[in-house]
Amino acid sequence: MELNSKTALLSTARELVSALEADNEELVQQQLTLLTQAQDSELFLEVGKLTRDLHEALNSFNVDSCLVDLTESTMPNTRERLNYVITTTENAAHKTLGFIDATMPLASSLKETAEKIDESWHRFRKREMNVDEFRELSHDIEAYLPLVKQHSDQIHINLTDMMMAQGFQDLTGQIIRQVITLIEEVEVKLVRLVQVSSKYIEHKKEDKIVDPIKAEGPQINAENNPNVVNNQDEVDDLLSSLGF
Amino acid sequence: MKILIVDDFSTMRRIIKNLLRDLGFNNTIEADDGLTALPILKAGGIDFLVTDWNMPGMQGIDLLKTVRADASLSSLPVLMVTAETKREQIMVAAQAGVNGYVVKPFTAATLNSKIEKIFERIDAA
Repeated sequence: MELNSKTALLSTARELVSALEADNEELVQQQLTLLTQAQDSELFLEVGKLTRDLHEALNSFNVDSCLVDLTESTMPNTRERLNYVITTTENAAHKTLGFIDATMPLASSLKETAEKIDESWHRFRKREMNVDEFRELSHDIEAYLPLVKQHSDQIHINLTDMMMAQGFQDLTGQIIRQVITLIEEVEVKLVRLVQVSSKYIEHKKEDKIVDPIKAEGPQINAENNPNVVNNQDEVDDLLSSLGF
Repeated sequence: MKILIVDDFSTMRRIIKNLLRDLGFNNTIEADDGLTALPILKAGGIDFLVTDWNMPGMQGIDLLKTVRADASLSSLPVLMVTAETKREQIMVAAQAGVNGYVVKPFTAATLNSKIEKIFERIDAA
């Protein structure tokens, strides 16, 4: 016998009271058992509902795009992709720095020789140069002009290579977009999981201890954050306000 | 003048190294975090320390504090070059005794002026 309705509960309770007044121990036990069973069945109903909701939630994950697949292959795959972003950008930066290292001495050597020739040329124009010196100057100029062409060609090649090294942005950009999409998918699924389970989970507010100087890397949307400086000038202002 | 450059990214170390070279500092040495930097510093001979903040192992702020707490290193000039831009962080670094604070991304001119300022102060002291 189940006691689902209020009337049934009331009548059992009344019978319990009369049995107690009448000192009918057997009847008291009987009525108490009935009342306890009523409590238990409500608990069973609740557990059943929770199980069904959870089952539905898990099913919906499977239908959507397999939560299992997400954790087993998509996530490690994403880690690999992000590591690829780090490696690719690092390689590109080193390549570019390498071309800069190769180009700077070319520009410096052109500048140094030009300065030397310029100085001699001025002395020649002021008629401060003897024949031997003029012969040396014309020799320098003769050697310099093909060097200008040669170095300029190499500088052009290096600059083109530097430009090509920037091609990583297209590749890493695509990967980062894929990761953003994945994070959005996971977010939607987690929100649904929270919606389903929140009915049964007691919310406890935990006081998180936040380290105010924890390293966070570059700040995004720093313009609207008063706790963050936006440029070197603001750093300098802050430091000088501290007596630096 | 021997300078130790500490950053976990090799490209950033290379950029700083090249900029220092352009400023006439040819004697540089590199480390990729505080833990690898400390033995180099303790071995002696380093005159200037340029360090990032956010690094695995030992972070730059802890390296700074360790340097200041070590009698043989306490007066070593330290320039922080970092992407950490919270006011609180800058204040903590200042209190810990940093000599200069450059935020990334930075320009060659900024690095130059901060280093010059540090040496001016040292010369004046």
